Amino acid sequence: MKHYLYFSFLVICISMHAQTNVGSVVPPRDSTFTAKLTGEFFYEGNKYLGVQYFNDNWTQGDILLSSGEMVSNVSLKYNGLFDEVIWMNTSNFGKFKVDKSFVKEFWLKYEPGSSIHFKRINVSEPDNGQQPDIFVEVVIESRFSLFIQRKISVVGTETLYRNDAFREFETIEPTPVYYIKLPSNHYLKLNKIRRRAFLKLFPEKKKALTKMIRVNDLNVSVESDFVKLIELMNKEVF
Amino acid sequence: MTMTLSKKILIILAVLLVALFCSNISANAISREVAYLQTDRTTYIAGESIFYKLYVLDADTRKRSEISKVGYVLLRTTGSGSSLKVRVRIDSGIACGSILLPDTLASGAYQLVAFTSGMRNSQEQGFYYQDITIANRFDKELKFKLVNSIAPDSNFLKPSNKETVIKTDKKVYGLREKVVVSLENLVSKANTSVSVYEIPVLSPRVKTIVETMNNTLPTVPDNAQKLFYHSPENKAKILNGRVIDVVTNKVVNEAVVLLSCNDTVPNLQYAVTNADGKFQLLLSDYYDGKELFLTIKDVPAGQQLKIETEDEFAQNQPWNSSLISGSSDFKDYIVKSQNIVYINKSYQLNNDLVDKSVGDINSICPQFYHSTGTTILPSDFVSLDDFPEIVVEILPQVLITRDKGKPRIKVYNTLIKMFNRNSPAIFLDGVFVDDVNKILVLGSEQITKIDVFEVERAFGDLVFSGVISIVTKSNEILNTKPALHSLRLKNDRVNTGGSLVTINPDQILSKDLPIFKQLLYWNPNLELKGKNTTNFEFYTSDNAANYMIQIEGISEDGSPISSSSGIQVINQPNVTNK
Repeated sequence: MKHYLYFSFLVICISMHAQTNVGSVVPPRDSTFTAKLTGEFFYEGNKYLGVQYFNDNWTQGDILLSSGEMVSNVSLKYNGLFDEVIWMNTSNFGKFKVDKSFVKEFWLKYEPGSSIHFKRINVSEPDNGQQPDIFVEVVIESRFSLFIQRKISVVGTETLYRNDAFREFETIEPTPVYYIKLPSNHYLKLNKIRRRAFLKLFPEKKKALTKMIRVNDLNVSVESDFVKLIELMNKEVF
Repeated sequence: MTMTLSKKILIILAVLLVALFCSNISANAISREVAYLQTDRTTYIAGESIFYKLYVLDADTRKRSEISKVGYVLLRTTGSGSSLKVRVRIDSGIACGSILLPDTLASGAYQLVAFTSGMRNSQEQGFYYQDITIANRFDKELKFKLVNSIAPDSNFLKPSNKETVIKTDKKVYGLREKVVVSLENLVSKANTSVSVYEIPVLSPRVKTIVETMNNTLPTVPDNAQKLFYHSPENKAKILNGRVIDVVTNKVVNEAVVLLSCNDTVPNLQYAVTNADGKFQLLLSDYYDGKELFLTIKDVPAGQQLKIETEDEFAQNQPWNSSLISGSSDFKDYIVKSQNIVYINKSYQLNNDLVDKSVGDINSICPQFYHSTGTTILPSDFVSLDDFPEIVVEILPQVLITRDKGKPRIKVYNTLIKMFNRNSPAIFLDGVFVDDVNKILVLGSEQITKIDVFEVERAFGDLVFSGVISIVTKSNEILNTKPALHSLRLKNDRVNTGGSLVTINPDQILSKDLPIFKQLLYWNPNLELKGKNTTNFEFYTSDNAANYMIQIEGISEDGSPISSSSGIQVINQPNVTNK
């Protein structure tokens, strides 16, 4: 029996080897034929106290480019302080800011089947002038869409003794900004989620919304409850 | 442990089956495509167009191939001479277009070769060859020879195929009369091409699509053939090439080949050569009709490298055919054809035969950057003679030095607060510059705009120490010569055109206009409706002759369709059915 097993193994190996010859003579296609990310070297800086990234560890992600092409499985971080997508160029391990206008959407894939979706939007309104594009997390995309800008802001300064000298550091922390996109394609902005501020955005629906919050026992100040509230708004006829 | 003989045989058989399955994986990875080309006629006068329909079929399923998106049609003479080369865009296994034959083409026998890149893997077995005759319009002697040709069948009026019947409302027509054709007995829906042409006195043998598909189909190549593997062009054209060392004549691996073309924005694509020194670059629609500038990045000092590209039209087998002299009847036919072309040219009635090309479709420019750097417009400053002067006066972030006599350009990096050690990527009119000297001679009178990026930039896996992009007023890059390690080549446009050729009914009514046509109708995309009858109609011209209605196509279920029937046009109005 042992001889038969050896023989079987030998025949299968020979067959498998016959295919691999093809690959060795063909130039590598994947790296050649896929779209290329373009970007500028990113200097992280060491004057901040706190984490400037939405995801502090490199995360595998996909980027949908404005050309319609997709770049898959690249190491990404979203920098909330500068509102930039940072890409680890694995050939030289350099960190580069992906050209913002080249990125339409991107996905951070934490585990198979689960990802966080970001897209580039412009929230300019006639009363706030021309605003630059921003990256936002797509939480709900429906009649009432909810986008969260995972902004990280400087909230203070601190002087610390480092490297034999007193140095001034900037303290940074997450300060998410919430954008509700109306069916009319206008954006409503909430710097902080508060029940009163939210109700002010919909003065005509104040009663119905108040009832909705009360009946569903929602704490608007809590992000998960706020998301539920927008989901309910989409289910109810407004 | 003992085993019976039958058990041993069973185990060996099972192992062989597994082995066979494994080897089939590789076989399937290589497409087995077969080409078929229907042309509107087989005899042409230089100055006319060849209308064609290309079918690319899967040899296994016999249906239209979904693999190749690029096809090639070559017109060649005996020996190895090629006269015309066109590239076509294949959509679900079909493509059509027209090839305008230059007036200068010499009289003689020619051959059309149709193929896809993937077919090279099966030793060109899937290629389609069609012999044709072309006579020069001004050739009065007509001493040229023909390929072995056949005389027309005297029974041409009878339909050739029992399965797909071509029926016409009459068999004999007068001049400028409407002809109604119906196609019956179809089993399933099909895509076909139809040609109604004057039957020549002598014609090269034409294979039908049914005969082509009944022939021996391409076989799976062995390993030796795989060494010349060609990737199926399932997205766009692939430019194949290799890098070799000029001194040692050895292939160079890991060389970075850069491709860019003349544009208002810097653009780049690159490939790295493999162990065999080979590289592939995908030429999307963006590159159609453009000149390609290829160069090698960072050639080591003292090394002489060069880029060689593969001729996508190259044929392993030259066309050697025994030629015969044409009969006097044939010469009379050619003289008549020459006169018809002369009349049509004189009355400018060839508008429907003009070769057409489309512009870029869905073309995406592979931009080198998608952000803005520092832009300088030299016209805002006093006129400066050359680039070094521009650098000194208005580009403080740029430095030109000399290294062993060779000029080097550096860019000041604001992040590290010093000049980058390496040279930046320099673009001139969108093209990656292979020699700094090309920009040093440019003064502010020639330059429209200069963009400078001071920080290191990445393009895919490549990193450049800054960027300088210069746009000139009169595309100066086109006046430069490529460096030794560079190559400049033209990427022709995709051939299209000739969707439907028929006599305009409005022309029929104008009695003062001579309408002489040897091609009465050409429709490369006639969709047959399955069991329902499909009709089409056309008009006869002032050319009284015998005409063939030839239909070729492929049904949805993969059945090839070939059918033909004839009609007669006589020099007599109000003809009754015979």
